[in-house]
Amino acid sequence: MDKILEVQEAALEAIKQATDLESLNQIRIQYLGKKGSIQALMNEMKELPKEEKPIFGSKVNVCKQEVTSALEKRQEELEVSALSENLIKDKIDITLRESNLRLGTTHPLMMIQKEIEDLFIGMGYTIAEGPEVEEDYYNFELANIPKDHPARDMQDTFYIDPNTLLRTHTTAMQMRELEKAKGTTPIKLICPGKVYRRDDDDATHSHQFMQCEGLVVGENITLADLKGTLEHMANAMFGEGRTIRFRPSYFPFTEPSVEVDVSCPFCNGKGCSVCKGSGWIEILGAGMVHPHVLEMNGFDAEKCSGFAFGVGLERVAMLKYGIDDIRNFYINDQRFLKNFDRYD
Amino acid sequence: MRLSYKWLSEYVDLNGITPEELAEKMTRAGLEVEGIEKQASGTKLVIGEILESDDIPDTHLHATKTKISENEILDIVCGAPNCRKGLKVIVALNGCELPGGTITTKPVRGYESNGMICSLSELGVDKKYQSEAQLAGIEELDEVAPIGESNVLEYLGLDDTILEVSLTPNRADCSAMWNMAKEVGAILHREVKWPEYEGKSDIGEKTNFKIVSKTEKCSGFIGKVVNHVVVKETPRWMKNYLNAAGINSINNVVDISNFVMLETGQPLHYYNLAKLPKGDITVVDDVEMTMVALDGEEFKIEKGDLVITTGQEATGIAGIMGGEESMIDETTTGIVIEAAHFDAVAVRKASLRMNLLTEAAQRFTKGIERDCMKKAVDRSVQLLSEYAEASGFEETIMIGNVKDEDKVVKETLSHANALLGTQFKMDEVEETLRWLDFNPVINGDEISCTIPSYRRDIERAADIDEEIIRLIGFESLQSSLPYMSATVGKLTQAQNLRRKTRDIMVGLGLNEIVTYTLISEDFKNESLLPCGNPIELAMPISEARKYIRNSLGNSVLECIAYNEDHQNMNNAVFEISKVYGEGIERERLAIALDGQLQEDKLHKYEIVGDFYTLKGIIMNWLERLGYNGSRIRIKENNTNQKYYHPYRSAELYLDNVFLGLFGEIHPTLLKKKGLKTVYYGELDIDPLLEISPARLKFNQLERYPSIERDLSFIVDKDVNANDIIVAFKKAGGKLVKNIDIFDIYQGKHVEDNKKSVALRITYQASDKTLKEEDILANHEKILDTLNKQFNAELRS
Repeated sequence: MDKILEVQEAALEAIKQATDLESLNQIRIQYLGKKGSIQALMNEMKELPKEEKPIFGSKVNVCKQEVTSALEKRQEELEVSALSENLIKDKIDITLRESNLRLGTTHPLMMIQKEIEDLFIGMGYTIAEGPEVEEDYYNFELANIPKDHPARDMQDTFYIDPNTLLRTHTTAMQMRELEKAKGTTPIKLICPGKVYRRDDDDATHSHQFMQCEGLVVGENITLADLKGTLEHMANAMFGEGRTIRFRPSYFPFTEPSVEVDVSCPFCNGKGCSVCKGSGWIEILGAGMVHPHVLEMNGFDAEKCSGFAFGVGLERVAMLKYGIDDIRNFYINDQRFLKNFDRYD
Repeated sequence: MRLSYKWLSEYVDLNGITPEELAEKMTRAGLEVEGIEKQASGTKLVIGEILESDDIPDTHLHATKTKISENEILDIVCGAPNCRKGLKVIVALNGCELPGGTITTKPVRGYESNGMICSLSELGVDKKYQSEAQLAGIEELDEVAPIGESNVLEYLGLDDTILEVSLTPNRADCSAMWNMAKEVGAILHREVKWPEYEGKSDIGEKTNFKIVSKTEKCSGFIGKVVNHVVVKETPRWMKNYLNAAGINSINNVVDISNFVMLETGQPLHYYNLAKLPKGDITVVDDVEMTMVALDGEEFKIEKGDLVITTGQEATGIAGIMGGEESMIDETTTGIVIEAAHFDAVAVRKASLRMNLLTEAAQRFTKGIERDCMKKAVDRSVQLLSEYAEASGFEETIMIGNVKDEDKVVKETLSHANALLGTQFKMDEVEETLRWLDFNPVINGDEISCTIPSYRRDIERAADIDEEIIRLIGFESLQSSLPYMSATVGKLTQAQNLRRKTRDIMVGLGLNEIVTYTLISEDFKNESLLPCGNPIELAMPISEARKYIRNSLGNSVLECIAYNEDHQNMNNAVFEISKVYGEGIERERLAIALDGQLQEDKLHKYEIVGDFYTLKGIIMNWLERLGYNGSRIRIKENNTNQKYYHPYRSAELYLDNVFLGLFGEIHPTLLKKKGLKTVYYGELDIDPLLEISPARLKFNQLERYPSIERDLSFIVDKDVNANDIIVAFKKAGGKLVKNIDIFDIYQGKHVEDNKKSVALRITYQASDKTLKEEDILANHEKILDTLNKQFNAELRS
């Protein structure tokens, strides 16, 4: 009987001592193989008296199970450590720079346009479009700027022929939409797009630039509604906490007309170099749609009213991103474009 | 306009209001003040008299003894050439702060010098308003200037502050001082007093002078003969005001005409009576002649121009500039006053053509009330009598319409509040309108205003509303959002398509660009994908911006060339933009690749921006939009072989609709632009709106394994890959799931006019696991096609 225990302990000790899979296998053969020590014990059983055989047999079986399970356990342990040793050889320098998987960039003007579009879509506005090669009629006449109106001096125009021009403002689209509506309300739209003026290009002027105008016409639309809407826009574009201020101004197609200042997002209205110490930044023009414009487009100015506003996309982008030269938008220097490689 | 604070205060009480406060209030009311500028400045100034002036040897300097009070004489060194004994001068005392710095006592060349004798420039007076003599030396004061006077700037009339006001086109009336005063009065709620001018011209003997207008473009004219005037120096105060407004003084008579124009807004012209011997003025607009104007330049007068003639001779370009012949000078002893109403358009056109944007022309162009003709003549007579010893007046001649019609504009308080979104009370509204001289008459809710003639901008109720809100102040305005029936906000199909296109391109690694619409003649001629006849501008701004582009090509290539020039290599860009031809508008997508699209030397990979990469980008775009590759056809480029490489470019069709071209740009065009190799594609986007994409649908996953067979064979070099694939698919039948070419080889072991093609055929059945024998027949057909159709030789 002690013999069985002796074999078992010797086997367990050997298993414990085994440091690699190869020697463990040798131990397996030594103890569990056909010519192994445990089989030898089984063979010894034949010699025993009949009544001792079952007890002896069961003891040998226990011994076999113990050894087998110890072997399996050790095998697993050794396998894990062998794998770890192999993995170490796979070690890489994780500080080496990543692969250059280059995503493209969206043009900053398009980023701003999308931001404004999404903002107003959320408020139930649609987005109107219209031709850049426009009729004088929509660009000027319907916008309350008849021939020889002094305001035509304000915007030198690229004419193609006496009746056709490159639109000088996105107001032309507003007029097309008003005409299309044939006097029915509500109208709620924005109209972004390229516009053109006969300006020489320099750091702050461009013969081509982008505007986005908005137009709402309905019953009981007020100047206060305009203020609320623009406040919402200012907060979305320049961060929460912006306030806006109206200053009287003049546009032929609105009355009253206002210039709109936003409290400076860079100094929170305290005064800094961006707002030239005033705490305010002039950002857009707006007003109540001129009753004559409504009438010319077939609306009853007694029954409905509306507001309109217009913002220059370059101006917004220049302010938001600190761009100091408007020509950057149209030169498309790769280094400029790569500034806009993430969501704003 | 330049607004003199001091002059303004003659009409409206500005007591207790600094120029800065005034500027802030005006800006808030819509008269934007863009700048505030002191005419001159200096502390510790005093009037003195040079008692002695001795030359300092070997220098231009003078050692003076200058008396600055009864018992104070200072030693001051002065370098001015006109420094001399007996001169009354401006002395800056020790510690005086001038625009250029602080005056300190220090010896000059060993001579004591306690202060400085000043020129006007040293006080900060604009050089524009100084004479040659003033600019050359120290200011020479009147003999009567009081020694010891320390309010020097006030004494000189240089204690004024100028507000630079930017007037909106609707408020041109404020370019007249009197009207500006009314406006400021309404802003500050202070009474405004105009001078007592009314009726001053209602005097004079019977006249034989004749004034005739032969054109509707001169619809009103007031003339008056003044037989005696004395031309002399202008009083100092008037000079100062003119200078403040930016006008140089000439002589008293001319200055009065300018001064009255500034006051009333009515451009005036005074003619030298002696030079109108025929005793007549006729306004015509149908003559062609030349005339030498006041500035000595000769101008060509064309039909349509308004001209003042006397006899048959031109003596003025109406509303723009008078003629040299009848100019007022020192010899003038009598004048004819002209205050007329000339057509804004005619004046504008002529002044633009002659490039004579005079003060008068600008005023006529912006529009003027009729009433101010009489105001100006009244005021002229008053000032000429007072400052030019005028006498011998003849009766006033008035022709045409010289009076504005009364204008009544009505508004209701409820409508005003409804439009503005305010809760203004009637009394505050009434008060505001009263300060504007609108004479409001209240009847219940209704407000009836009689508008002053100079407020030509007030025409209807909305104009009244603007006056109310801007003068009560926008601070009172609350914020709200429109209360109206609900609307659905969404993108149109075209807008969606544009956004998707942009996202796909950016995702593929391309940078979006925006380039100019206007292009040069060269760019127009070398159009990569024209659309209709190009549109030319009537009056381009430069040669480079002459046409509206009918292709994006050259603008995009120009952008690449710019970047290459600035060491920005590997450009991959796209632009989405409209292009135009006569009567045509198209939206296009342009893509250009120059160098590598992706590159990483460290991790050893690159995607070269070549034909196939460009094709991949385009195919990815279309497939992502829902257009399966089988609907897309690529054909040889027979559209534009001049600017595209004829053998490396293609036409692209979707469902047989031509979308555009893509491929390598022709080396000749590239060379011209200083570029090496650029791949470029330009495609119409709009047709996609008409071509339905496939519905997005789930395809059942294959349940059985597929079998792959590789084939490698040699064919003629010119055999198209697509032809092989199409033929094989047809031959292989339904079981052929996919055929993909995975290698093309030319070179060693392959004849020059041949190529080796390796492809992989994937067989797949949806109902069973394929076995070798299932595909045997199909595969044999394919091999058969290989032999028969392509004369190909199978490689082992």
